[in-house]
Amino acid sequence: MKKHNGELEIDEDLKLEHRTWTVQRVSWGVMLLLVLAALLGFTGRGGLPGISTIKETSASQTIELEYQRFLRSETVDELSVKLKDLKTTAPTLYFSKDFVERMQVEQIVPEPEKVETGPDGITYTFSTTQAESHIVFYTKPLEIGNLQVTMRGPDNSTINFSQFVYP
Amino acid sequence: METIIRGIIVYLFLLIIFRLNGKRALYEATVFDFVLLLIIAETTEQGLLGEDHSVTGSILLIITLIGMDILMSLLKQEFKFFEKAVDGGPLILLDNGKLLHDRLKKERVDEADILESARELKGLMRLDQIKYAILEKDGTITIIPQEES
Repeated sequence: MKKHNGELEIDEDLKLEHRTWTVQRVSWGVMLLLVLAALLGFTGRGGLPGISTIKETSASQTIELEYQRFLRSETVDELSVKLKDLKTTAPTLYFSKDFVERMQVEQIVPEPEKVETGPDGITYTFSTTQAESHIVFYTKPLEIGNLQVTMRGPDNSTINFSQFVYP
Repeated sequence: METIIRGIIVYLFLLIIFRLNGKRALYEATVFDFVLLLIIAETTEQGLLGEDHSVTGSILLIITLIGMDILMSLLKQEFKFFEKAVDGGPLILLDNGKLLHDRLKKERVDEADILESARELKGLMRLDQIKYAILEKDGTITIIPQEES
């Protein structure tokens, strides 16, 4: 064992301490960046619109979809669909396979009249007497990673969107 | 499988984050340090178990955590540099009666902390009664008093 001042037996490693202090200070910067990114919305559960909440409208201007770009595994989030200029009292919404297989739909407001699953996706049929309808899906992702979904509205116009699920 | 991966990730994350926080991180200097520790424990629990309330899940998780601990101790015993990197080492803060201010600043401790330890451990009253003050790797400050002449 090294002797400090010829009397104190101590295993002091100043090189390691200096290195630790540097790493510590760098890590504080990284932590600050992470918090800023989370505040902006890069980690899901709220943030600035355009980063976390994305609005998309179909080419026909009849569907407006609002979804979360980033989700967290096993945490419920909202997916809102606004249908305009409805020509039918039984509008349908179709979602592709990823949505069925990797998401668990906890609740739909309003509840659909009919739900049908096929080999390539799921179709919800709603009932409304009005020309506009606002439907909210409360979804819980079950798998980690990128999620690619195609949504098709009652007039066959489609919106493609992708969501990233954090562990 | 998921439980074990969660366990390993959380174990390693906590190990790194507390090392990055510095030696005094877990040292309960104030009441709030203790409260903070409780909050962290509560938050960690959610990440560890998620929605798994089964006994199997708990048993697997406990085995994983203890297993990681055993693995760490074996690695530390085998590789000295690993032990130093994970645990850190002691650091002299007061050398032969002289305060080393740059070290105090870097470790975020001050004279008052040294005096507190001096009172607690040795019943000393003044800084000049201390010969060496050492910040140990567990965050405590140990005191060696001046020899009486």
